[in-house]
Amino acid sequence: MRTFSYVRAPDVETALRTIATEPNAKFLGGGTNLVDLMRENIERPDVVVDISRLPLTGIDELPGGGVRIGALVRNSSLAAHPLVRTRYPVVSQAVLGGASAQLRNMATVGGNLLQRTRCLYFYDEASACNKREPGSGCSALGGFTRNHGVLGVSDHCIAAHPSDLCVALAALDAEVEVESTRGTRRIPLTEFHHLPGSTPHVETALAPDELVTSVELPAPVTTRSRYRKVRDRASYAFALVSVAAALEVRDDTVTAARLALGGVAPKPWRATEAERVLLGAPATEESFRSAAEAELASATSQDGNDFKIELARRTIVATLRDLLTDRSAA
Amino acid sequence: MSTAEDLPVLGAPVDRVDGPLKVTGQAPYPSDVDLPGQAHAALVQSTIAAGRITDLDTTEAEKAPGVLAVLTHHTVPRLPRGPMTSLGVSPPAPLQDDRIRHHGQHVALVVAESREQATAAARLVRVEYAPADPVLDFDDPRAVSVDDPWGLDSHRGDVDAGLASADVTVDAVYTTPDNTNNPLGLFSTLAAWEGERLTVYDATQWPAMVRETLAEVFGVPEVSVRVLSPFLGGGFGAGLRAWPHVILAVQAARDVGRPVKLVLTRPQMFTSVGHRPKGVQRVRLGATADATLVAIEHHSTSLLAVEDDDYEPFAAGSAVAYACPHVVTADRQVRANVPAPVSMRAPAHAQGNFALESAMDELACALDVDPLELRLRNHADVHPALGLPWSSNALRECYAVGAERFGWSRRPARPRSRRDGHWLVGQGMAGVSYPWYQAPSLARVTVTADGGATVASSGMDIGTGTYTVLTQLCAHLLGLPLEQVRSDLGDSDLPEAPQAGGSGLTSALGSAVADACERLLGALLELVRDDPESPLHGSDPEDVVAAGGGLRRRGDPGRGETYAAILARHGRPQLGADGASTPAQPTELGMALAGAFGAHFAEVRVDEDLGLVRVSRVTTVIDGGRILNEKTARSQVIGGVIGGIGMAVFEDTITDPTTGRIANATFGDYLVPVHADVPDLDVTFVGEPDRASALGVKGVGEVGLVGVAAAIANAVHHATGVRVRSLPITLDALL
Ligand SMILES: Cc1cc2nc3c(=O)[nH]c(=O)nc-3n(C[C@H](O)[C@H](O)[C@H](O)COP(=O)(O)OP(=O)(O)OC[C@H]3O[C@@H](n4cnc5c(N)ncnc54)[C@H](O)[C@@H]3O)c2cc1C
Ligand code: SF4
Repeated sequence: MRTFSYVRAPDVETALRTIATEPNAKFLGGGTNLVDLMRENIERPDVVVDISRLPLTGIDELPGGGVRIGALVRNSSLAAHPLVRTRYPVVSQAVLGGASAQLRNMATVGGNLLQRTRCLYFYDEASACNKREPGSGCSALGGFTRNHGVLGVSDHCIAAHPSDLCVALAALDAEVEVESTRGTRRIPLTEFHHLPGSTPHVETALAPDELVTSVELPAPVTTRSRYRKVRDRASYAFALVSVAAALEVRDDTVTAARLALGGVAPKPWRATEAERVLLGAPATEESFRSAAEAELASATSQDGNDFKIELARRTIVATLRDLLTDRSAA
Repeated sequence: MSTAEDLPVLGAPVDRVDGPLKVTGQAPYPSDVDLPGQAHAALVQSTIAAGRITDLDTTEAEKAPGVLAVLTHHTVPRLPRGPMTSLGVSPPAPLQDDRIRHHGQHVALVVAESREQATAAARLVRVEYAPADPVLDFDDPRAVSVDDPWGLDSHRGDVDAGLASADVTVDAVYTTPDNTNNPLGLFSTLAAWEGERLTVYDATQWPAMVRETLAEVFGVPEVSVRVLSPFLGGGFGAGLRAWPHVILAVQAARDVGRPVKLVLTRPQMFTSVGHRPKGVQRVRLGATADATLVAIEHHSTSLLAVEDDDYEPFAAGSAVAYACPHVVTADRQVRANVPAPVSMRAPAHAQGNFALESAMDELACALDVDPLELRLRNHADVHPALGLPWSSNALRECYAVGAERFGWSRRPARPRSRRDGHWLVGQGMAGVSYPWYQAPSLARVTVTADGGATVASSGMDIGTGTYTVLTQLCAHLLGLPLEQVRSDLGDSDLPEAPQAGGSGLTSALGSAVADACERLLGALLELVRDDPESPLHGSDPEDVVAAGGGLRRRGDPGRGETYAAILARHGRPQLGADGASTPAQPTELGMALAGAFGAHFAEVRVDEDLGLVRVSRVTTVIDGGRILNEKTARSQVIGGVIGGIGMAVFEDTITDPTTGRIANATFGDYLVPVHADVPDLDVTFVGEPDRASALGVKGVGEVGLVGVAAAIANAVHHATGVRVRSLPITLDALL
């Protein structure tokens, strides 16, 4: 039987020291992803460092109007927090669109950032998977790809990043603060996750000995923001496509736009092409459609996920249109 | 003598008698049972779909901590296959040779002191394969097919002539995917040998069949095998067979000389206990301009395992659904390297009805008549094949009541004519004629010294409410309060009853219980009639009724005595009687035996931009004959409709096209409806007690599911103008 040791870190310093000295250790947040992966023999840490009692659970207002969210804030607390609900509705909606109430009560912000793909082949030890076993191949290619990505994918891996929260964070220019025994640094969320290229097993910019301590959101450019998640059933399913959007319109012209996509790429996908088209354009359905076309221009698909390209375009348009017309989103 | 005056207990929406046990966690579900000294087992399953095992190395696994034994095809003796059942041959015995017939086939079983040790050691079993190219789909030219596997193909009139005479025809192909039964309770087998006596706690819907199978496979007399399944965390058909893992657990217990418990994992539930097989159906319909059906042709092809049977005559139901002079139905099964399919709630009919009732909707559109009107005009007033009157049939009432409750008359005829913001709103309907099924059953009813009664049967309650309705029935027939009746079920040592399946158990077992009650009352009456001390001494049987916990003079309830008093005076601790029921014979009765009928009316909302389908309303009306318990029957129909919603828009077991592996074998990836997907469901019962059944009962366990998929697909067409002929209806079909 595979055994591992379990250490409960009483403070950040111990957590950092343990992870720095143990060659094959993993942090345990809510455990909703790590424990599943350990059961499936995909993650095999020798040491599990339980960080769930670390005092990183605050949601604090920053000078200048931003907000700092502790890495161990539970997903449910994040979604319910008044600061988040009023300034960043898109974040609250994204979290509530994910998983189930029970899972959100356990899952932490840091864990959500680092959750791994739901690719059905990644989870099967007997299937070839470059992410799990570099160089073994990709079973998804030619297989079942309904849940896979169409943007930023490579010949080595087409897995989609599953997080909803990260899509909202990517749209809002969030920054991730990480800490190790070597010090502290900040990583923009859009650079936190890597595209697969030829190394799909390298998923994030986080070093193995680094702890995510918080996520910072700058003051919102607008509170008119929204998360739209499209999935087969009404609840408790990963996104086929999701859109996080914030839109500011003056005199029928787009003066600010923040847009990110989920379910379609190996990382939370900041839609910079679409934003470029939108900025300064008339706030019309035609502009929204052109923006969507521009963003999806580089998309590539398999038989099983071809529909996602058009679905992503339409979801972008629908979300922006809703933001434009729904006064309650203001 | 006659039985009780009408008490409100029969038909009443009585709470489940086993409810308190269940909600307090005291009901012993199969995986809850533990025996002293038990060992635990874990399966090793094939990672290829076809080929041979070339090397199987168990050295490391055997050395792992706690491991007691590793069973492989080298260690397991040659075992015979189990007996023929009404569902076809038994599954092939496990671990008999090096051949691999499907991905997920059991190739070894590890037995250890703990479940964790067994699971860990199972990973250490090294299996080398010589893979062959698997047959995974219908169109593979190498696939072997079986025509008319169940002898149910039917033919009347001349379909070609019928189609030629039609003013309007429909010719369409419908596909349905693999679905997985997915009972919430993981299947589990705990086997214990004591010498040649075998006791097995098994997740089965059919204890008597498992007993017979194990006796035959392990060469012991049936009387020395006891199979217990008093509670089950759902089955939906998955518990209708003695699966290979059951045989393996029993073999392992024999090998290690200790009780062995094997609990399947959720992914193993997708490969080890059956599934609803995928199929392709072609339906051709012809009608004259006045909407009279003149031809029905229905062909189906479905997938089958390479060495197994599965009762799946998709098309057979179409022969009796409508009055129509020219009909052909034909079914074909194609063998492939897939896990064995099995009956899944409403086997064959769930799929066949989807095709037929979708085609009827297409025909209604082509004829420009209301879909409900088309069904009424072609209603089968008598059984279309036998020409006999139905033993009961309230299908017209189902339509009328359903249409009224749903507000069908306000439905605009033209598709795509209602919207609510971005949502297109549509309404569709479907009719259901569910087949009659019943098997012989026995039961025993005993009155005991405390004045109460016990019902005993090997039949089991999958969660449908069998405990409750048998208790109600016995209480009613013996004139006892509910609290004084107990039902003991799911034990193969008790009088043999058929499977909890085919919607046939309530009628079969209920009739046997009624017969036992009648015999018991006869025996009690004999005791008191000749007993000068009894207030009923010398009574004519016609003048005695069962009431007030005993026997009473009709019209003079003060004159009588309780069962307790009768037994006490005669020095008997108890008095029991055996009852039996046999299925009715249509020709003897001059009636066609009717199953349940039903009608579903569904409303859907489809997001115009994104293709999302949300079911917003379903009205269901069922003719289930006499309803023994409004509450449990309603729950059955509600559960059926939810299963139908799953089938219509979510459920899809995905087989990897190259490896034959089931790719989405988890509850996170195999989608079933969640609460947010299920609107308020409106369920109503209509109809009269069935004339061919002693109790007037027709089963309602499956009928609620059938027709939902067609009603939803028809509603999607009405909402969008797009006809989706392939399930599940997901947004990609509507973009
Ligand atoms: C059935 C199911 C459905 C789900 N549906 C959705 C969904 O619809 N949308 C969605 O977004 N998510 C969904 N999830 C995923 C869920 O959101 C994640 O599992 C959860 O956010 C992970 O958080 P956790 O705290 O439990 O992480 P853990 O499981 O504890 O950890 C996950 C990973 O993060 C690492 N880690 C954790 N915290 C830190 C830290 N502070 N610093 C560095 N590393 C850290 C761990 O070492 C581990 O590698 C679903 C999960 C399940 C099981
Ligand atoms: S898509 Fe990525 S995660 Fe999935 S099998 Fe291929 S390499 Fe592995």
